[in-house]
Amino acid sequence: MIAENSHLSLNPSLKTTTLSSMEPKKAGKISHLETKNTGILQKLIAMGILPGMPVTLLRRSPSYLFEVDQTRYAVDREIANHIYVSY
Amino acid sequence: MKLPLICPEKECCRGKKECMPGKGLPKIVLVGSPNVGKSSLFNALSGSYTVVSNYPGTSVEVSRGKSRIGDLEYEIIDTPGMYSLLPVSEEERVSQRLLFDEKTFVCLHVVDARNLRRMLSFTLQLLEARLPLILVLNMMDEAEERGIEIDIQRLSLSLGIPVVGTVSSEGKGIEELKASIMKYSHEKLTQEKTTPEIDYGPEVEPYISKIEGLLETVEETGISKRSLALLLLQGDRTALDFVYSPGEVYRHKIEKCEAGKNDFEELQNEQFQKLAETASVKAGVPLSYLFTLKRQEPVNEIVEQVMGVQGKEKEAAKETKNEKKKRETKKVFLAENIDSVLTHPLLGIPVLLLVLYFGLYRFVGVFAAGTLVDLLENRLFGEYINPLVTTWFTSLVPYPALQDLFVGEYGIFTQAVTYAIALILPIVGAFFLVFSIIEDTGYLPRLGLLLDGMFKKIGLSGRAVIPMVLGFGCSTMATMVTRTLETKRERLISTILLALAIPCSAQLGIILSVLSGNPNGLIVWAGVIVLEFAFIGYLAARILPGEAPTFILEMPPLRIPRLSNIAVKTYSRMHWYFLEVLPLFVLASVLIWIGRLTGLFALALKAMEYPTVWIGLPSDAADIFLFGFFRRDFGAAGLYGMHDAGLLTGVQLVVAAVTLTLFMPCIAQFMMTIKERGFKMALAISGFIFPSAFLAGFIVNTLLTALGVKL
Repeated sequence: MIAENSHLSLNPSLKTTTLSSMEPKKAGKISHLETKNTGILQKLIAMGILPGMPVTLLRRSPSYLFEVDQTRYAVDREIANHIYVSY
Repeated sequence: MKLPLICPEKECCRGKKECMPGKGLPKIVLVGSPNVGKSSLFNALSGSYTVVSNYPGTSVEVSRGKSRIGDLEYEIIDTPGMYSLLPVSEEERVSQRLLFDEKTFVCLHVVDARNLRRMLSFTLQLLEARLPLILVLNMMDEAEERGIEIDIQRLSLSLGIPVVGTVSSEGKGIEELKASIMKYSHEKLTQEKTTPEIDYGPEVEPYISKIEGLLETVEETGISKRSLALLLLQGDRTALDFVYSPGEVYRHKIEKCEAGKNDFEELQNEQFQKLAETASVKAGVPLSYLFTLKRQEPVNEIVEQVMGVQGKEKEAAKETKNEKKKRETKKVFLAENIDSVLTHPLLGIPVLLLVLYFGLYRFVGVFAAGTLVDLLENRLFGEYINPLVTTWFTSLVPYPALQDLFVGEYGIFTQAVTYAIALILPIVGAFFLVFSIIEDTGYLPRLGLLLDGMFKKIGLSGRAVIPMVLGFGCSTMATMVTRTLETKRERLISTILLALAIPCSAQLGIILSVLSGNPNGLIVWAGVIVLEFAFIGYLAARILPGEAPTFILEMPPLRIPRLSNIAVKTYSRMHWYFLEVLPLFVLASVLIWIGRLTGLFALALKAMEYPTVWIGLPSDAADIFLFGFFRRDFGAAGLYGMHDAGLLTGVQLVVAAVTLTLFMPCIAQFMMTIKERGFKMALAISGFIFPSAFLAGFIVNTLLTALGVKL
């Protein structure tokens, strides 16, 4: 968990939540990914959803729509719960 | 989806393995994430055509073409999109396997220039695998629109490989790419190689070396030991297969030992697993996570150096550029607004209904299946061509049996060819035209986002929207595309629903046009089909074991479709469809002819009359269903004929339409289901569909009659 710890300790004022409960239209960074479900984890990292990437939530319904760097993704709640962001 | 190539020299191999246009030539392999323009680059390089779309996951098969670059000929290979060397889905595995197996002259890693940060990690993986590599930054225009600048020379220096910027859809940069391929020499580059190897940290490096030590090279191959070791540590199946399968180029050193092969495999499997587990415990996170994070560090460094977003001062200095940028920002802004309507939870639904109404009902149903078919079938063929051919053939061949085969009621010309050209082709063509437009704008992934919640109820994710919508065109094609779905369970459920409830465009067009004069009947028909779809999907989601699907899909930007791309794509799909349907139509005509000669046809017809009468239809309607065995649309065409002759009442028409829609898949779809899901599963699906279609017809008929509904 090297990445998330160093990130958090550098920015103690930041709020860390899951993507699913992030405030829409706010710019943040992905702090870490939940690593227990390796299937979902592998999908996320393969698609380039990685700690340190800038992230903005655009829409919560009908599905979660968010932007990482220059790309948009749509995910369901289950997956949005696996992505932790700080902003 | 990879449809057959249309090669200029008529070397078209229709996607068959045994025919490879450029066999034996040096190989150029295109790899990269989905939706970065590999297929359009393939077209630009090879001069042949594969279907290019604006949604991820369209290429499910490998395409091969041939190209002359400079004085040399090359084989060009296009692969299904893959995000990394460690595959997550089946089609990624296809690409991975290809990289393992083929000896490539050079790999072109195609990336979307905007997303360099996200995609460069795969470049590093490919370099780690020691694959000969050229990096292609595609979609440079879209990157520029967003004010992104990339220092290509510097990127090339820090990676130690050639880098070329292109806009493949417009053919920009293709000449540079060709020049770079001509100059390419792997040996020279490896000698001068500047990229340092990625260090995965003291926790895992010993394990990587340990596995590397267990492998031995028998001959030169695509992929390096280090890459293979990394994949084995991550438990990759392809890598395991590769190490074990006899005759492969990598062998395990201990394979020479006495132990039986099975024991040996188990032993080694355990050994790899144990190593992976210990390494993972040491690292504290899953190894794939660790490896990716470690790879991202040099990626971030490189991206910081070579990529810049246009600064504000710079814009002010260059007024013309500034204006241009403003205009482009406006374009982006407009796309944003449209996008937010399309994906809006409430506004999205009416938009979808509008698309369905105009695209499917008005254009495919009323215009193509109504007006166009009337013109072609009744006028052109019915009044001019067929009488002419019949008279000519009858005077030429005096044998009634042969006359029957060619120009009889079910004749090869009068039925098979006429139906194929005058009835099916215009409808399917119209559908593919609409589908290509929708597809190229990027609407389909948005539809996936919109419908994911509803699809979850029937055990599918929003990703399944793509094969489902395509199923309205040709269920056979759509069954092939179910391959892009992630779990076996999803693939099975979608195959069942495609076979059962999704009418293909030919069938749909005819049913829409037959029922268009009967709006209430149309509503009853649509209602029953939607209900059956939801009910069976819900049931399947409940009964079938396995995990619930998860939904993750990349949203490409909305794009204005390119006319030439749409034309070529529609043509290519019609071509595929026509080659698929005509032989089956002819076969059906021949089988019916044999059946009529031997009396078997009458027998089968007699047998079909029972369920037909049981659902309240005249016994004459049995042949519609018998035709349905040969092709679903063929059966629908029979319905069209009966309706024309005024043989059915309103209720009967609706019952027939319902039963026919739910009826058996056509031969082609049945064959495709066997190919994708296996023979047993295909048989089980059909065994379920046959009675359930008639049961639904029976229920509808009983209800409508009991309620005294007149349609």
